[in-house]
Amino acid sequence: MLLVGDSMSREVVTVSPETTAMEALGLCREWRIRHLPVIDGEQLVGIVSDRDLRSATPALGDPDRASALQRIRALEVMTREPVTAHPDDPVESAANAMRERWIGCLPVVEDDTLLGIITSSDVMEALVYLVGAHEPGSRLEVVVPDHPGTLAGAAGIFGELGINIVSVAMGARREEMPDGSPGRAVVFRVDTVNPGRAAEVLEQAGYRVLWPPVAPV
Amino acid sequence: MVVHGRGLEDYGFGAGHPFNPIRLRMTMELCDALGLLDGYDFVEPEPATEEDLLTVHSLTYLRLVQEASRGEGDAADLLQYGIGSQDNPVTPHLHEACARVVGAVLGACRMVIAGEATHAMCISGGLHHALRSRASGFCFYNDAGVAIARLKEEHPGIRVAYVDTDAHHGDGVQWMFYDDPDVLTVSMHESGRYLFPGTGGTEERGNNGGVGYSVNAPLQPYTDDGSWISCFDALIPVLLRAFGPDIIISQNGCDGHALDPLTHLSATTRFYEHVPRKIHALAHELCGGRWVATGGGGYDIWRVVPRAWTALWAAVSHQELPEKIPAGWLGKWGKQSPVEPSALMRDDPADYPPIDRAPEIADRNARTTEAVLEKVLPLIS
Repeated sequence: MLLVGDSMSREVVTVSPETTAMEALGLCREWRIRHLPVIDGEQLVGIVSDRDLRSATPALGDPDRASALQRIRALEVMTREPVTAHPDDPVESAANAMRERWIGCLPVVEDDTLLGIITSSDVMEALVYLVGAHEPGSRLEVVVPDHPGTLAGAAGIFGELGINIVSVAMGARREEMPDGSPGRAVVFRVDTVNPGRAAEVLEQAGYRVLWPPVAPV
Repeated sequence: MVVHGRGLEDYGFGAGHPFNPIRLRMTMELCDALGLLDGYDFVEPEPATEEDLLTVHSLTYLRLVQEASRGEGDAADLLQYGIGSQDNPVTPHLHEACARVVGAVLGACRMVIAGEATHAMCISGGLHHALRSRASGFCFYNDAGVAIARLKEEHPGIRVAYVDTDAHHGDGVQWMFYDDPDVLTVSMHESGRYLFPGTGGTEERGNNGGVGYSVNAPLQPYTDDGSWISCFDALIPVLLRAFGPDIIISQNGCDGHALDPLTHLSATTRFYEHVPRKIHALAHELCGGRWVATGGGGYDIWRVVPRAWTALWAAVSHQELPEKIPAGWLGKWGKQSPVEPSALMRDDPADYPPIDRAPEIADRNARTTEAVLEKVLPLIS
C-alpha cells in the first residue's frame, strides 16, 4: 500500500532524443501533460518539460519561431540524468524528492527500464485515498496521551460502538491532554452521520475531543 | 398537492435512531390542525418498480437490499454495501418501504410535469445520500436520483434543477448526475471538514460535459440565518436563471437548525420559511411553477421538523403561515416530547443571539459563495 508502483501512471508518453520541439509540444497539448521522458532505445536518458521547450524557443509572433521549433531537438533542452523513483519506493519518499527539488514528476525506473511516471497529482490522489476523503464519513479530531497503547484504546471505542473506521491519520503534531500532559492529535474518519455519541464516550474515557463539540455533561 | 400516505411512514428506523418517521406524522397532523390541508387531496403514487430503481442503482445492490429486507443475506457481505451498519440498519420490508418513498417522489414529479398539479410536496422523500451501490447516511434508495433519471428518459432534453439545503452535502444526487449538463445540482451545507459525508467542497463542480453543473457552497459551523439567507439569495436565483430549468426539485432537510443534534449550523425557522418562498417565486418565474419539494434530514423531531415542514407546505400551497401552534396538537405531542415544545410557529430571534464570531463566519461564507459563483456561472448555459 502507498507505494510508487500503486500510484504512478503506467501509460507514459515518451520522446526520443531526436524528437523536435514542435512534435514534443504537440504531444504535451494533445495529452494535456507537462513532462516527457526521453528514451534512447529502452533506456531513460532525460526528461523534457513543456517549460524547457518553451524557454528554448522564440516567443509567439517571433519570425524565427517556426524554424526554431523544427530545428531544436529534445536532446538539446532535456534534463540529463533526471531524479527517478523505483516502483517499490514509498509514495512519501517520491513526494519528498519532488518537494525538495521543486520538481513536478519523477520517471519510475526498474532495471534501467521506464515503467511509469509519478506526478504531483498522483501524490495528491494517494493522499485523498489515504485519508479516505472519497468515501462518505465524519471527521473526528482526538488528542490521545503520548504513550503506547492509547491509539488502540481510542480506536477500540469505535469498535465497541459498532462504527467502522474509514481512515486514521496520526502525525507528529503535539497537543496537550486536559491535564497538561503530552498528547498527539489523531484524525479519524468514521462511517457514520452521527459521531456525537463516540465523541462523548471518548471524552468520558479521558481522551480530548477537538471536534465535534461535546456537550458538557 | 400533498404526496403522502401512511405507507410512506414505514421508512425509518424508529426510536433510538435519529431517522424516526414519527416526524412525518407530527408534521401532517400539525398542518391539519392549522387548517392548512383543507381542500387538498392526498395522493400516494405506486411504489417505484425495479426498473425505476435500476435507473440509478446497480442490480447487485438492489438484490442485496431485497435480501436483507427478507432477513436473508450474509451480514458481512451486506455491510460492504453499507447495509446493516449503525446508520443504515435493516428493518423488515425495508425494500418495499423505501421503494414507496421513491415512487412517491417520482409520481410527484410526473404529476407536476403533466400539469396535474403545479407544485407538490413529499416530505418522506429527500434520501440524498443513497449511492449507486451503497446505503449511506440513513438512505437506501435515492428518490430524487430516480425521479430525475426517469424524467430524463420520458422527456428527452428536459432540464432539471435540484436545490439541496439539507445541512449535509447532497452527495448521492450530485454523483449520479456529475457528468450531466441537463441536471444542475446545487447543495448548500455545513462544510465537509466538520460534517458527514465530508464531500461538497467548492472544487466539486462536475465532470466531462457536466463541468459547472454541480455546485457546492460549504458553510462554516455556526452559520446563522442572516448569513445563510444572504448566501442563498446571492447564489440560487442567479444560478437558476442562468440554467433555465423545466422543473425544480428541492431537498428541504431542516437539520441546519440551531437545535439539531447532528449538525453545527445555527439557522432558525426564519431560514426555513425563506427558502421555500424564494424557490416558489423562482419556479413561477422560470418554469411555469413546476416544483417538487421533498423532506430530508431533521433530527430535532419535536421542536424543529414539524414547524419547518409546515412552513414548507404553507409556501407550496400559497397559504399564510399561522402564528400559533394549536393547543390540541401541543397537548398530544407535548406529552411524548422529552423537551419543551414551542407554542409558536416561528422562533423568537431573541432566543438565538448571534455568537461573537458571527461576522467572521458571515464574511467567510460570503467569500465562498462569491468564489463559487465566479467559477461556475461562466460554465452554465
